[in-house]
Amino acid sequence: MIKFLNPSYIFRLTGKLLNFLKTFVIPIVVIGLIFSLFVSPKDYIQGDAVRIMYVHVPSAWISLISFATISFLCILNFIFKFKSVSLIYKSLAPIGLTFNIIAIVTGSLWGQPTWGTWWAWDARLTSMLILMLFYIIFIFSYKLISNPERSIKACTSISVLGLVNLAIIKYSVDWWPTLHQTSSINVGKETTVHFYMLIPLGLMLFGLFMYAAVIFLMKYRIETIRLKRKGLKKL
Amino acid sequence: MNFDIFSMNGYGIYVWSSFLFTFLTCLFLFLKTKKTLRKLEKDFIKEAQTLSDEQLEDLKKQKVAKEILISHSRT
Repeated sequence: MIKFLNPSYIFRLTGKLLNFLKTFVIPIVVIGLIFSLFVSPKDYIQGDAVRIMYVHVPSAWISLISFATISFLCILNFIFKFKSVSLIYKSLAPIGLTFNIIAIVTGSLWGQPTWGTWWAWDARLTSMLILMLFYIIFIFSYKLISNPERSIKACTSISVLGLVNLAIIKYSVDWWPTLHQTSSINVGKETTVHFYMLIPLGLMLFGLFMYAAVIFLMKYRIETIRLKRKGLKKL
Repeated sequence: MNFDIFSMNGYGIYVWSSFLFTFLTCLFLFLKTKKTLRKLEKDFIKEAQTLSDEQLEDLKKQKVAKEILISHSRT
């Protein structure tokens, strides 16, 4: 167990995992794209516009999962002061922000043909925009606050507030009347998406998750080297 | 060539724009991250080379620093 917490072991492992994931990410995404753009059926109401779902939904999920993970890690870091935890959330935040932007832009591109508008200030869309602001403030807070103690406090406060927003994002379509549809994919409940559409969705989700993992590992190595460079000056 | 694949009954502009935006954003993030990683590794090696023999020995005792030096020499 101690071996898995050893920073040098983790650093070596990130290198091996990076090579492994890099090999598989492109073929999986290409297969996902073929299924999404050419194989999957049209929706009976939305027609081909439904294909936007295959990039919009995985992006939104990755963005939400990233922020939930960041919040959990920040709380963990605040309580137990694990040094390597801050490296993980610093590596995750830019990925979450990128996928959040992708979700908003692709959502807007989906909104125009289906709702007739690029943007509406409804609860789901606005709460996703607020999540983007949380990501930006979070990134600025660890980049600009040099005092580690204050940085941890600021990051934890922002991420805890962001958790409230995550709950609002999840339940916004149930609590308020919104343009955005209610959840079509439910764990433990009925899923209203056809199986033939779930295949490309699953493939794209898996492919984009693998891509996110590649970026995360590269970012983790960047943060580790930055930390070591500071140590180098103290030698 | 079947034009329907691109036009998608008029939805093509939205569908292709979405996929293109996602692809380009992901590509940009990947290239930027890769460039930063390469630059930091090079800078780390450069700074390590300016150290005295004694300091370099101390550095090699640090496992992560040793891993950075090894991993960069492999690429």
